[in-house]
Amino acid sequence: MHERLSFYVKRNSLIHHLNPLTKLTLVLALILIAFTSPWYWTPQFLVLVAIIPLAFIGKVIPEFSRTATRLILPAAGFLFLMQAFFQPIGSTVIFKFYFLDITQESLMFAFRNAMRVFIMVSAFTFLLLTTHPSELMSDLTRRGLPGQFAYVILSTLQILPQMQAKAQTIISAQRSRGLDTQSSFLRRMGSLTPLIGPLVFGSLAEVEERAIAIEARGFTSKKVKTSLYEIPDRNSDRIIRWGLMILILISIVLKIWLS
Amino acid sequence: MAFVNLQNVTYKYPLTKTPVLQNINLQVNEGEFVAVIGPNGAGKSTLCYTLAGFVPHFFKGEISGIVEVAGMESSKSTLDEWVLNVGLAFQNPFNQISGAKYTVFEEIAFGLENTGVPREEMKARVDEAMKLTDISNLADRSPYSLSGGQQQRVALTSILVMRPRLLVLDEPTSQMDPIGTREVFGVIRRMAEGGMTVVLVEHKMEWIAQFADRVIALKEGQILLEGTPREVLTSDLLAENGFGTSRYTSTAREAKKQGLWKRESLPVTLDEAVEGFVIRN
Repeated sequence: MHERLSFYVKRNSLIHHLNPLTKLTLVLALILIAFTSPWYWTPQFLVLVAIIPLAFIGKVIPEFSRTATRLILPAAGFLFLMQAFFQPIGSTVIFKFYFLDITQESLMFAFRNAMRVFIMVSAFTFLLLTTHPSELMSDLTRRGLPGQFAYVILSTLQILPQMQAKAQTIISAQRSRGLDTQSSFLRRMGSLTPLIGPLVFGSLAEVEERAIAIEARGFTSKKVKTSLYEIPDRNSDRIIRWGLMILILISIVLKIWLS
Repeated sequence: MAFVNLQNVTYKYPLTKTPVLQNINLQVNEGEFVAVIGPNGAGKSTLCYTLAGFVPHFFKGEISGIVEVAGMESSKSTLDEWVLNVGLAFQNPFNQISGAKYTVFEEIAFGLENTGVPREEMKARVDEAMKLTDISNLADRSPYSLSGGQQQRVALTSILVMRPRLLVLDEPTSQMDPIGTREVFGVIRRMAEGGMTVVLVEHKMEWIAQFADRVIALKEGQILLEGTPREVLTSDLLAENGFGTSRYTSTAREAKKQGLWKRESLPVTLDEAVEGFVIRN
């Protein structure tokens, strides 16, 4: 019951001490540069000079490589295969697979897209590994993000695992009364029905109670909200953010210039 | 004028035909502890929601009559103003956890963040409230890793930290085991002793008898009986109307029929029962 949907690992590193907005800007800069750069090798270059060194400075190399090999690489690999086979571009056929032609161009295209997606997901993984979700949200709320929006994100992260646990309890309860959950696919789909009622209606009732509970604690108060923790925003953070903004600008200008 | 003042309050939820509350008149003085009892469907929770402003501001529906707390009138204020005066805690502790916070300390600070309390004052108030409810040792735990009794104390603390002038509790121990119940009542007792005005809906008569200054018995949306715990909890009218009574009261009532209970009044607590029973040899 303790588990929650959070990648965050508590470490003491330079990256962990950065302001969340700085890290968010960094992520956006990485993604924008990867997607707009005219140079073919940019994403690979970014992995080497940005993603890996950042994960190293942030002391999250083991967690990052685990996520990369188990989640990001398989997804990017799948994308690569799909695009390599089904992208009807180019004429330099490398080999044929039944009716599908693999051309050099389609391979290049697929590789670039897969790498871009790899950068995008890696950058966000890096952010989530080094930033506590409530820190990110309270910093963004302080800067004007609606409190309701932050609440939805934060509560989902914690309440989803609770709902999973509840679904498991209902399944166990139904199984102990003879519900078949192990035979054919169709039977199993049928046996989902008695699960959905209690789970969905139970959750709806819970939502009303929770709404009352947070309302009773001034959730919709019109006063300016304060935050329990002070999230440091140093001059160095501002300088880094400005630097990143300039990089983003350059890459966009270059993109427009060259196209 | 009374601190809490309900005059001729009648309320109907949307989409229902019969009113849940009918002509309720209730006055509570500042610092008084009032317990509300009644069978299921008597309107106890609705009464709590009315006091806490959720009826009609949250549930809508039709309300008539006057609801006043601390000189403010419910129909003339908004819910976010109202909750600053009136705190509400209810049955299921799990659903009272905000879900947006990772530690008990942050969870308790949630209401203060929402109402814009400055950081230093916030920390001091959270510390103080946790001492009051004896949960300081839980400060760094996840609210979801706690037992029901602990969670309910966290929920209560989250309300108390906002310093409401009226505390409304809707069966706060109904899902607790005896240990959880004792923990939660320990907190309520301290609140009452500290002079907080409390309205408590509760089934556990022994506890009511120990704490309450006054007991209100609700039935089908109307006040059936009102008086001191002794008067109300031992009344024959209560037993006739399908209210649960404490096992000590019901045992003594049976004993009285057999001539085994010699006293005039029936007991409500174990101690009174022990004192009053005559041992025959």
